[in-house]
Amino acid sequence: MSEDALIGLFVATVQFGTLVFLAALGELIAERSGVLNLGVEGMMAMGAVSGFMVGLETGSPWAAFFAASAVGALVGGFHALVSVVLGADQVVSGLALTIGGLGLAAYVGRNVVGERPETLFTDLGIAGLADIPWIGEIFFDQPPVVYLAVLLGLVVWFVLARTRLGLALRAAGESAPTTDTAGHSVMALRSGAVMVGGAFAGAAGSFLSLYMAPGWVEGTVAGRGWIAVALVIFGAWRPGRLALGALLFGFTLALQPRLQSFDIELLGVQLNSISPALLGILPFVLTVVVLVIISWRYRHRPSPAPAALGLPYRREER
Amino acid sequence: MIRPVLARRERVWPATQAFAFLVGIAVALVLGLILLWTSGHNPAEVYERMFDSAFMGTDSLSRTLERATPLALTGLSVAVAGSMGLWNIGAEGQMMAGAIVATGVAMMADGLSGPLLIALMIVAGVAGGMVLMVGPALARSHLGVSEIITTLMLVYVAIRVVEWLETGPWKDPESFGFAVIEPVPEQAALPGLFGRANIGMLIALGLLIVFWLAVSRTAWGYELRLAGSSPNTARYAGVSLRRKILTALLLSGGIAGLAGAVQLTGSAARLESGLSNGYGFAGIIVAALALMRPSGVAVVAFVFGAVQVGGQSIQTLGVSSAISDILQAMILFGALVAAVFFNYRIRWTGPAVDSSGEEPEEPEEPEPAEDAA
Repeated sequence: MSEDALIGLFVATVQFGTLVFLAALGELIAERSGVLNLGVEGMMAMGAVSGFMVGLETGSPWAAFFAASAVGALVGGFHALVSVVLGADQVVSGLALTIGGLGLAAYVGRNVVGERPETLFTDLGIAGLADIPWIGEIFFDQPPVVYLAVLLGLVVWFVLARTRLGLALRAAGESAPTTDTAGHSVMALRSGAVMVGGAFAGAAGSFLSLYMAPGWVEGTVAGRGWIAVALVIFGAWRPGRLALGALLFGFTLALQPRLQSFDIELLGVQLNSISPALLGILPFVLTVVVLVIISWRYRHRPSPAPAALGLPYRREER
Repeated sequence: MIRPVLARRERVWPATQAFAFLVGIAVALVLGLILLWTSGHNPAEVYERMFDSAFMGTDSLSRTLERATPLALTGLSVAVAGSMGLWNIGAEGQMMAGAIVATGVAMMADGLSGPLLIALMIVAGVAGGMVLMVGPALARSHLGVSEIITTLMLVYVAIRVVEWLETGPWKDPESFGFAVIEPVPEQAALPGLFGRANIGMLIALGLLIVFWLAVSRTAWGYELRLAGSSPNTARYAGVSLRRKILTALLLSGGIAGLAGAVQLTGSAARLESGLSNGYGFAGIIVAALALMRPSGVAVVAFVFGAVQVGGQSIQTLGVSSAISDILQAMILFGALVAAVFFNYRIRWTGPAVDSSGEEPEEPEEPEPAEDAA
């Protein structure tokens, strides 16, 4: 295996990691407030298609990025309206959001399939640091979204752990009636969290369509939204662990298309002789295995999940 | 400040969900109309074409029934798990797994007579669907791992395996370089009924009836529902939750696998990565709209079959068939919202007024409406 190929693998690990981290961070915010949103896949698709179309129109990746975030927030707002304000089943609403979001994205993007945008996010060589061998290329010569994601991760950690807003948000996720009694609006907290989560998913979608796989085709999200949902469990609802998990999943996502070009033998099997389709199951099998291991570790302890996750709250019923 | 809160209605109409479904359809049609109109189509023309192609004439009806068949089966699959509060959202993958194993059987036993081969393939389909469900079911029953994510993850695994079979081991040598699997033997085609409808429809209908009887008329079904609605009560009554979870999920997987075998022998010529065609995912919406009830599954599957046939037909008018996915999701959203307003009314109240002492305390689950359809 050449050195370049190995560096390429780690560069892609960071990028795929960023992709799932952004989406999972948004889901983490929503789940900490007590709302399960299974619509991440749909919100990412909507973000990908709207971001790409705005990018095509304006030529500005940043305009596209923020437009995608806005669309993501809007789609998330739909889930908030149905499951938080009206208190309908969160699982059903989220699944409908994914199916409807994928359908709507396919419909909206039907005329831009195959087009190539003029301007995309470009790699940001950070002066001085980017020239360090290995480390420089992997960590300091990445598109700006990577650094933004790190920043957002820190901000989310800080807000959740160190501010009154974060405390109220976490309280809403643990016990809605208590939060209500303390004078906070559970509805506002949860709706806000779901919409911010949607914005993150939308942003992740546009990172996909503006950098990682430039363009738009149906099925471009390809299950990454679902991996993000699983990642929140892996991260035990904590931003720091989420980042570690994102790198692990990023690695498997990056490994799959590259394993073909690596000339390695593992357990007597020539890795590059395995069909790419079979290698494609790697991230999904890993997700299942990881979830099983985590549950095994928590089998005698209380789950780290927010206590009120998935439970609708209606003021009348306290 | 006066603000609205949702208060539970003391009396709920019967057949609420049926009305909610109708409202959902109306909402979806209105939103679809806006979408079509804003993208420069003539909504009246599009809807007329959809209606004609789904309902007018025996050929159209047979197409609708052909599509309703896998939808009813995947809907039933989701409903079996759902009747004890579990979510199988991987029916799409189990369908594929069923079709894979059924294809394998057809390849090995292509000398058999038609009925025998078909029966074998269907059994193989059930087995295939169950195999894909074993992991998630055990993880859920013994470790409490959310079946939602694990079942879904295996969808991607099943589809990739089909892609691998297409390009490699099962590639048809006579396909002139195309990556396709050889068609199933001719005698393995399900007998037709009329037009494009086939025996598969009757299989689905029969299973719906069996499931309805089993859930509503047997002790097994009662325990299943009890285990779903109040696990603690069930445990005190001596019901093994683990075993119930395992049976419900494995059955659910098996039915989805059967859907795959029926699709393979009924409508598809061969195993291909597009065989499941979103039926498994649509089945989730079908079951959710039906509130996990078999009668509801049958009705919703028929309507969704029509929506999908309609969605295909309007492509000749230059309209994307993605419209049918959007309509299906909108029907569900509309029905969800309508059901809330059927079970709750808006009450305007000031801050910190009542804690509604006279209202019976009854969390979650709206009162079950009499009959879904």
